[in-house]
Amino acid sequence: MIELHNISVSFDGQDVLSGLNFTLKNGEFVYLVGPTGAGKSSLLRLLYMDLKPHNGVVRVAEYDSETTKSRRIPLLRRRLGIVFQDFKLLDDRDVYENVAFALYVTNTKKSEIKKLVLQALADVGLSHKRGQMPNELSGGEQQRVVIARALVNAPSLLLADEPTGNLDPHASSEIMELLRKINMRGTAILMATHNYDLVRKYPARIVKLENGKLFDVELKERI
Amino acid sequence: MQIGYIIREGVSGFTRAKLSMIAAITTICISLLLLSTFTILAINANSVVESLREKVEMEAFLADHLTLIETSIARDSIATLEGVREVRYVSKEQAAQIFKEEFGEDINRVLDFNPLPASVKIFLKDGYKTAEGAEMVYAAVKGISGVEEVIYRKTMLEMLDRRASTILWIVLGIGVFITISSIFLVANTIRLAIYAKRKIVQTMKLIGATKAFIRWPFVLEGIIQGFLGGGLAGGILFLVFEYLGKWISMELSDFVHVQTFYYGVIVGVGCLLGFIGSLISIRRFIGDSVVHM
Repeated sequence: MIELHNISVSFDGQDVLSGLNFTLKNGEFVYLVGPTGAGKSSLLRLLYMDLKPHNGVVRVAEYDSETTKSRRIPLLRRRLGIVFQDFKLLDDRDVYENVAFALYVTNTKKSEIKKLVLQALADVGLSHKRGQMPNELSGGEQQRVVIARALVNAPSLLLADEPTGNLDPHASSEIMELLRKINMRGTAILMATHNYDLVRKYPARIVKLENGKLFDVELKERI
Repeated sequence: MQIGYIIREGVSGFTRAKLSMIAAITTICISLLLLSTFTILAINANSVVESLREKVEMEAFLADHLTLIETSIARDSIATLEGVREVRYVSKEQAAQIFKEEFGEDINRVLDFNPLPASVKIFLKDGYKTAEGAEMVYAAVKGISGVEEVIYRKTMLEMLDRRASTILWIVLGIGVFITISSIFLVANTIRLAIYAKRKIVQTMKLIGATKAFIRWPFVLEGIIQGFLGGGLAGGILFLVFEYLGKWISMELSDFVHVQTFYYGVIVGVGCLLGFIGSLISIRRFIGDSVVHM
């Protein structure tokens, strides 16, 4: 699903990632951990091709950073679900429209949109709040809307950048349960996080970003 | 491309971002009011200058001793000169009649004789209604046998020439300034409106929207804003010029004559301003990285 070969990225002459290699298989759940400023967000940006590596090749599904033209990047992003710490919901429309938005982009038929949106909202347990505006929801609920929006296009890979960063422990656990459920259905997940309690509670493969490189680490090690 | 989506999103600005929509429409309206008022005054001022030129005529006075044949030759010679469009012969008797109409007195009675010479009124071709053109015709008429004196409003023509070129430069300068200011003002207001929606653009990009998908609702919104701003400006100008025209004198009303199609042009220019302004503004945001918006 994801292959990174000898990736280097630098900002203002400062190396953020250097000689980084990483592979994520179909259906895998991987935590991406590391100190603040280690480059976790930059790594995720490489994957949805908002950032080009200065060296090396990024390959996500059939798209690779060397040959993918900028006009084809939207097609890659339709294959991904992206979840952010700050939600990035559209404040000017309700829950249903926020989720449906991802389908308008892909030119899905209107009758199909309704079915898929209601299914995605049912999956995240928010069918009853479809008419609410984002500011009327709790943080956990807003993140579930974002996950529903990410899921509605049936992505094969979900990228989550600190998805529980703004949530209380209870809401965080709910989101984790949801992500696990999604993963069980076959969607690969790469989740950047600082929340080691969650990592311990929901064990999976862990990769640590340090000094510009990625290492597989075991749960019992100090992360 | 989903036409339904584009229209729905393009129109949604009225409900979702009322304030920035009103700001954009007002800005377009004010810009167009400035631009249109200026253009109307410039076009009309030019037509006033042209009508003053139209009134320029030359008169060649003939010697009293000329025979009928000599008079006829002189008149025909003048008529065939370059720059002369038309001539009209005024006999001594007709000149006395004109005098009577102008002063209410019969000159034959005042002086016991008619001192007014016969003359040929000369109407110039369009290209010769300038100081230089008239001077050429004047010199040629002066050289014709039997012509004693030639008069025309030389100083007025010189003044018109001088002022016209000064006015033309001022008009051009102000016109360019107002046009550029309008485009910047409108583009900037629309940019601010789009900036307020940068989160939407960011989310659209994250979920895989193409540039065209993001662009066209904003462009449609810009065109609608331009249409409404233009319509408002056209309406205000219509009211002002229609009512103003009735309250001012005939001479001044030359400056405020507006043809009906001009109001349509204002609306069209409004749409164009909205289209260009939104296209320029959205380009910047579409091009940005998702994260740094």
